[in-house]
Amino acid sequence: MSLLTVRHLHISCRNKPIVKNIDFTVRQGEWFTLIGESGSGKSITASTIGGLLPKEMSIAAGHVLFDNKDITHLSNKEFQKLRGKEISYVFQDYQSSLTPFMKIGKQMDEMIQAHCSLTKNERREIALQALEDVQLPTKRVYNSYPFQLSGGQLQRASIAMAIMLNPKLLIADEPTTALDSITAVHVLEVIANIKEKINCAILFITHDLRLARKYSNTIAVMKQGEIVEAGTKESVIYHPSHPYTKRLLGAVPTIKSSTSPAKLDLILQ
Amino acid sequence: MIQITKRFIEFMLFLFLLSFISFILIKLVPGDPIRRMLQVDEVSVTKEQIEALRDELKLHEPLYIQYWYWLKRFFAFDLGHSYITKQPVLSELLSRFPATMMLTCASLIVMILISIPLGTLSALYKNKWVDHISRLFALVGSSIPSFWLGLLFIELFAVRLGILPSMGKGTVKHIILPSLTLGIAMSAVYVRLLRSSLLESLNEDYVKAARARGISERRIVLFHVFRRSLIPVVTNFGMSIGSLISGTVVIEVLFSYPGIGKMVVDAMIRRDYPVIQGYVLFITIFIVLINIIVDIGYRYLNPEIRLKGVERR
Amino acid sequence: MKIIKQTYQMNSQSLLFILVFAYFLAIVIAPLFTPHDPLQINMNERLLKPSEEHLFGTDHLGRDLFSRILTGGQVTVGTGLLVLIIVLLVGVPLGMVSGFIGGRFDRYFMRIIDSFMAFPDFIIAIVLSGILGPSMLNLIFAIVVAKWGSYARLVRSTVLSEKEKDYVLMAVVNGLSAFQIIRKHLLPHVMGNVLVLATLDFGKIILMIASLSYIGLGAQPPTPEWGAMLNESTPYVQSSPHLMIIPGIAIMCTVLISNLVGDVLRDRFDVKG
Repeated sequence: MSLLTVRHLHISCRNKPIVKNIDFTVRQGEWFTLIGESGSGKSITASTIGGLLPKEMSIAAGHVLFDNKDITHLSNKEFQKLRGKEISYVFQDYQSSLTPFMKIGKQMDEMIQAHCSLTKNERREIALQALEDVQLPTKRVYNSYPFQLSGGQLQRASIAMAIMLNPKLLIADEPTTALDSITAVHVLEVIANIKEKINCAILFITHDLRLARKYSNTIAVMKQGEIVEAGTKESVIYHPSHPYTKRLLGAVPTIKSSTSPAKLDLILQ
Repeated sequence: MIQITKRFIEFMLFLFLLSFISFILIKLVPGDPIRRMLQVDEVSVTKEQIEALRDELKLHEPLYIQYWYWLKRFFAFDLGHSYITKQPVLSELLSRFPATMMLTCASLIVMILISIPLGTLSALYKNKWVDHISRLFALVGSSIPSFWLGLLFIELFAVRLGILPSMGKGTVKHIILPSLTLGIAMSAVYVRLLRSSLLESLNEDYVKAARARGISERRIVLFHVFRRSLIPVVTNFGMSIGSLISGTVVIEVLFSYPGIGKMVVDAMIRRDYPVIQGYVLFITIFIVLINIIVDIGYRYLNPEIRLKGVERR
Repeated sequence: MKIIKQTYQMNSQSLLFILVFAYFLAIVIAPLFTPHDPLQINMNERLLKPSEEHLFGTDHLGRDLFSRILTGGQVTVGTGLLVLIIVLLVGVPLGMVSGFIGGRFDRYFMRIIDSFMAFPDFIIAIVLSGILGPSMLNLIFAIVVAKWGSYARLVRSTVLSEKEKDYVLMAVVNGLSAFQIIRKHLLPHVMGNVLVLATLDFGKIILMIASLSYIGLGAQPPTPEWGAMLNESTPYVQSSPHLMIIPGIAIMCTVLISNLVGDVLRDRFDVKG
């Protein structure tokens, strides 16, 4: 069953096209990876889904269907209800994912309040549970300011906020790029665990093939605003058809064209 | 706590330095102070009178002894007597200070009532008509001489419409025009400052992140952005408390408002040095105290500094 | 489309600069063309309304206001420029030397400037000119003392950051003398920032001169200084408001122009204000 369908999407920035004719479908509970170099339009596409396009950009054509509803041209108010509740985001820059000068607990509380009418204690319970799900010391983090946490902790806290209200779709926009590799692996694991627990779909955006291969079900490769290749993980990684994908694969340590899938697997790990 | 102690020690050192500077300043003034003191009465002065006063003020002693005496009186809150009225300077200052304080506070309120809404609207509706109007206001407001604005107000409200008194003190009505003048003149800077500070904050990624969590725009502006934007405003406020004080001088003269500003200008024109000296000390201490308060406000707004003790950038 | 817009912006900027140049030129040469003697008292023609003979009317002593405004421009704006030049001559070299030498000397020097800057410039100017007595010379001295510190500080911090850059180190290695380095490499970098600050400050200095003269501490009668003229007009606000309105507009226009140019320069040099 499809959860998110993007159809013939064109986005332009001051009349200059930057995303061209994008088509893809994310099924329920699926891990969908959108991969491409920086500037390929993958983050813009992600922003479009939740109505977060910067002011100077607009949808020139196409549709976004979410949960069988057309959400392409929702009003700001309607998007507000959707974001955080049905569709959640995790961003690359963990340092500015949370408002400085505002305790994390306060920000979680505010978010629950924006979407559900619950008592203060119920809200607190939900927030603490979410922090526990991402393996953070619940009480301490709840009462901390963002600057008191490390990068990995901050990113896990923003994941906790993102999954707190059991969204159907989690959009993770390069969530590990700013982290060191060990922390990155841990954060990815956390996301994978959460996905199993609340059974949400994940739209994972990255430029790093190594991250794409471990958890993805489906991969789409983007280049200069277009999807050049899409398919199951196996078909994209082991049988790339587009030269760009081959090049992306080539960018990862030395891989000879004759390398067998098994060997490739080893290298990629 | 250590911070406060450090602040206090700095403050005491500062007082010493200040007392020394103001002592020297008066010594540097050309002319014989005794003649200056006695000539005010425009009665012919005898030699004996001069000598008597010279002894009384210890002017025969070397400079450092003079300073020592002066310092002793300074820390006993004795700022001397006015040449003109013969009253103790401190009590004159204290009796007139409340009027100036009232004017300053009223101007501050006017300033806040203008600059916060205007600066916020300007940032939220960037390049819309509200923004254009408030930017024009800021530009003209920072170019207009405050005393001229006051004169225009007098012309309009006191002379033409006759609804407000143009000078003096006593009722609430008397404070409206002076505080309006000063408040408007001061707010130009803050409209601009708040606008740019808000625009900067609104562009930050954490605003986008808050939007992505489904927080309403109004909440984002009020709770996420506004507090952050107030930091440069508050920092700046400490610096511009001085322009507020000096603003009161001009405005008090203009409206014949009986505060310490008018008092000191009168003293300057009549060369009544003890009053000038007293004013300098008084204002300086006041400004330093305000700066300490601003510092505390800054700490409150910025928990990073409060918790980590990071120095102010 | 883009090119048209750019040329339009370029032109509106150069237009502004031409206007400013014309304005200052007018202020400089205007006193040569005054229709009347700005100091000539004529008690038969007191407080006249504007007419063909007296374009802006006459003041309480029957002096021609138009002539006084023209001459006053030279006094007010000329004094402002003089103050600015002295401030630059004092502040820029001191800041440059302090930043260049660095070390303990720099630290003490900065302490002095910081304690100066703790006092608001306007308070320093008022108190100093008050203690020294009302006169134009004392006023100039007072404003210079109040203002030089911010220039020294700005120049010092610019020099401090530039000095560490490779091209200066190269110059040192190549054996250029300190004076040559300052003149050839540091001065050009410093001048942009100083220019912006000076332009923005010019308006403030004009306001200071006018305010101090207005409260009776600067120019003394019969000098036709704009602020002093406003002071003289105060008793006649009721009967002859034009006496008060015209000098005020003159001050405001001058400050407005300086602020506008300062804003343009600030954007061009990308200085944080």
